[in-house]
Amino acid sequence: MAEIVANGVRLHVQRLGPKGGAGPESPVVVMVHGMVMDNIASFYFALGNCLAGAGCDVICYDLRGHGRSERTPTGYTMADSMADLEGLLDALDVRRPVHVVGNSYGATLTLALGLARPERVASLTLIEPPFLIEGLGEEMARSLTQVLAAVTDEEVEEWLANSAGRAVSRITRASQALLKETTIAEDMLATPPFSPEALASLPMPVLAVYGANSDIIDQAEGLAELVPDCTLVVLEQHTHMVLREAADYLRDLLRWWLFRRSEPMPSHQVRGAGFDTPDWVRQMIPPPNLNSGDEPTTSLSAARAGSSAEA
Amino acid sequence: MTTDQSTMTADPATRADQVLADVTEILRDVIGEEYIVDMSIDMDTSFNADLELESIEFVTFADRLRETYGDHVDFVGFLSEMDVDQVINMKVGEVVQFIVDSLETDTPAAAR
Repeated sequence: MAEIVANGVRLHVQRLGPKGGAGPESPVVVMVHGMVMDNIASFYFALGNCLAGAGCDVICYDLRGHGRSERTPTGYTMADSMADLEGLLDALDVRRPVHVVGNSYGATLTLALGLARPERVASLTLIEPPFLIEGLGEEMARSLTQVLAAVTDEEVEEWLANSAGRAVSRITRASQALLKETTIAEDMLATPPFSPEALASLPMPVLAVYGANSDIIDQAEGLAELVPDCTLVVLEQHTHMVLREAADYLRDLLRWWLFRRSEPMPSHQVRGAGFDTPDWVRQMIPPPNLNSGDEPTTSLSAARAGSSAEA
Repeated sequence: MTTDQSTMTADPATRADQVLADVTEILRDVIGEEYIVDMSIDMDTSFNADLELESIEFVTFADRLRETYGDHVDFVGFLSEMDVDQVINMKVGEVVQFIVDSLETDTPAAAR
């Protein structure tokens, strides 16, 4: 297992390249997964191997506290996460601008990195970023409150007893421990909002991908309007889980984005029967329902989460 | 790991046995739980249904295979077009066979 100490934290890293190895001209692509119920595996399988096979120098890693990386008791603010990522690039001696691909809150982090360190970034791909200009931290908090409420002990135990296999129960328990034993929740509460002026001066190309049925789809157009060089892709029928639901299309899209951007963008074929996202994924990863604490969500305990968020 | 000895064996059947033995040893190590010690792992064992492998455990498994077989086996290419569910629903034998095929076609000189 590749372990790298960056910013004083032990991080699990998988660096993937094409057969024969990546060359000095290969695009360097860094993948940043979502928070709490996520880890390196989602990008590793959805895009990591594919883009490495297509000729990229791919860096996938587990964020602090997630997957196989060190679970520090503190240090989960946006600034900490950016320092971890920059430290990782330094430790790997990556000096060229990198293409950063983020999912969910990892996409929010990706956007923050583009704003803070534009000289290190060649392009941004933002998959379903929870994105608010005003009061992002506050709204993120409400979403997190829902997540926290969704993983109370008794519910988890009951749910595990009824349905979960070993694989599901392990990631559930890991997420539960992350929320209980670290400051991740309060650190995410402190996430500063983005300034519209800063977004309007973002210098690099941005690819933004949302599912048309996502709870945060209303943020997509605001992003596309503010960011000067933004390509917005909204995928019909898809949800916040678009990385898992539409991995095939995202592979095509990212190959186009990185290698053939002068050609027409690949079109998305809507599949008639829907997707095979397992129920447990839908149930266990509530979409960041940023705008209303009391609407039904797919989380385990939507009603209770809503009322406690209000309280 | 006994990589060099495994890849030196010319007979395909023997080589498959050796690769399965290597793969099994890595799997037991990656999973690292008591229930796996007594479980028999063969070509028909499913990563998902039998071993209940987590997707992140498969990442570690693939990493260990890369360490073991190096450039002789192109795991990136193998996993390129597979969804996570396809990967996890594979049988151990599919990985073993891919490794055996790769070793035979990739490095005939080194294998003999």
